[in-house]
Amino acid sequence: MRAVTWQGVNEVGVETVPDPTILNDRDVVLKVTRTTTCGSDLHLIGGYIPAMRTGDVIGHEFMGEVVEVGPGVRDRRVGDRVVVNSFIACGTCWYCRQELYSLCDNGNPNPGITEGLWGQSPGGCFGYSHAVGGFAGSHAEYVRVPYADVGTFVVPEEVSDDRALFASDAVSTGWMGADLAGTKPGDTVAVWGAGGVGQMAARAAMLLGAEQVVVIDRLPERLEQVRRHVGAEVVDYSTTDVMAELRERTGGRGPDVCIEAVGMEAHSTGVQGVYDQVKQQLRLQTDRPSAVREAIMACRKGGSVFVLGVFAGPVDKFPLGAAMNKGLTLRGAQVHGQRYTPRILEHMARGELTTEHLATHVMPLEDAARGYELFKSKEDGCVRAVFLP
Amino acid sequence: MDLTQVIGRASGLAGGAGAALLQRLQHVRLPGAGQASATDDPERAARRWRAVTVLRDPADVDPAAGGLPAPLAALGDRIEVRVTPAPGDRGTELAARYRHTPGPDEIGDLRAALREAKALLEVGEVLRVDPQPHGRRAATPQGAALEGAAQAAPREGVL
Ligand SMILES: NC(=O)c1ccc[n+]([C@@H]2O[C@H](COP(=O)([O-])OP(=O)(O)OC[C@H]3O[C@@H](n4cnc5c(N)ncnc54)[C@H](O)[C@@H]3O)[C@@H](O)[C@H]2O)c1
Ligand SMILES: [Zn+2]
Ligand SMILES: [Zn+2]
Repeated sequence: MRAVTWQGVNEVGVETVPDPTILNDRDVVLKVTRTTTCGSDLHLIGGYIPAMRTGDVIGHEFMGEVVEVGPGVRDRRVGDRVVVNSFIACGTCWYCRQELYSLCDNGNPNPGITEGLWGQSPGGCFGYSHAVGGFAGSHAEYVRVPYADVGTFVVPEEVSDDRALFASDAVSTGWMGADLAGTKPGDTVAVWGAGGVGQMAARAAMLLGAEQVVVIDRLPERLEQVRRHVGAEVVDYSTTDVMAELRERTGGRGPDVCIEAVGMEAHSTGVQGVYDQVKQQLRLQTDRPSAVREAIMACRKGGSVFVLGVFAGPVDKFPLGAAMNKGLTLRGAQVHGQRYTPRILEHMARGELTTEHLATHVMPLEDAARGYELFKSKEDGCVRAVFLP
Repeated sequence: MDLTQVIGRASGLAGGAGAALLQRLQHVRLPGAGQASATDDPERAARRWRAVTVLRDPADVDPAAGGLPAPLAALGDRIEVRVTPAPGDRGTELAARYRHTPGPDEIGDLRAALREAKALLEVGEVLRVDPQPHGRRAATPQGAALEGAAQAAPREGVL
């Protein structure tokens, strides 16, 4: 089959690779119908996530049709149209029972790599390096899905492929941020980053009852999407002092909930930006955390900061004093998609959650290299490139 | 320290051997913080109980009742096994250690056996990842080191 592979730092291409097969009783094999780029892929392609091998099939946000079912699968049939969560979770361990699916104890066959790095190993993920299992990704004609009863969801008839696709990762991640940050009716929520994840965090916050939702970015076409399709307020950080603006818009309090959806390659202006970039390039810090810093400083006393952006290692100039003295709750996670996908599909079916606008570029799988180029450079208004295998 | 740098260094030092790479990785210390067992002397570290918590009733895990899970049974009476209820409905703590002072390979065997035993008890099977689709693998030292690291990973870590 044809598949998109990582071929070195900043190099992706399409190759012919063997077809996947059922390896465990609870697997299914999917014929992939839609698979999309995620901001997380950029960290991986750029070489910021180690443990990638040349030839690894990438991609983790996808949907498809079940074509083969393992003997231990209970609820899926050949022909089911399903959307699949990016993290691989068993459904039976203690973490899965707490609905903390991305922390599954039985989802990552390579726990030794991340235990060494972080003290414990989180779960496994499709197409996202050997550190999280080394599973072949979804940018391919077929993909094997372990623990299919837990990680695949049949898409209701009323929901189109174009909409359902993003329940896989972008929407479930955004929803998790808004939910686990404790968004309550009446809250003001600020979201850093207007990519697929930030936009969906904003929409989720609104559906959870937030009174005011403000999204911060610098790319005009993304801010326009936020206004038009999400219905939230926007701040352009390239022309506006974010801290002052947020204070002014919140009666001097600061947002109750701050959601960071930018990640380790955060862009920043001025001295801070140069400082972080140089330190990251010299490998003195692995990640550039400027949006996290800003979220902590902006947050109201006793408020809550949720880190959705992906980070891998230590960061520098972390305002721990602000977090401690302001009594903040600081939280982060890889997506617990299985916890949120059913209710997301319901909102989608009722038309309360639309995502079609995220798919700014739809193209054949063969064009994946161009798709990633557009997505990385954010050229031509690219928010997500969707591949049709 | 950055992981890519660590991998670069470790693969240089270890001549590309993945297991050695991971072992080094486990001893990378953040300034002011250590990893598990980073300050134990090697003898004490090797002899510690290694434990996984399994979300099953102690009765389902108890070696006296059903016999040890196969991966642990395979280690025979070289190991001793301890089964205790975990607090707060977290299931059962399954711990094992060697009766003698083991070498790194034996410790790797025990880590893998404990993880497999847990998977068998909780899921009924051990999750596999190979063989699976991949494209052309460039024959680079880093690639070989990483391959080795991935293969060694079920036997490594802080467990
Ligand atoms: N936690 C999870 O499970 C999970 C899941 C999916 C994605 N992610 C992560 O979420 C982050 C966002 O993903 P995405 O797909 O939306 O990525 P994306 O690259 O499409 O969007 C990132 C956005 O952040 C903006 N940005 C950069 N620096 C900023 C700053 N200082 N302040 C405000 N905005 C800034 C960029 O202009 C861009 O619009 C990434 O780090 C990704 O890895 C995490
Ligand atoms: Zn993602
Ligand atoms: Zn689990």
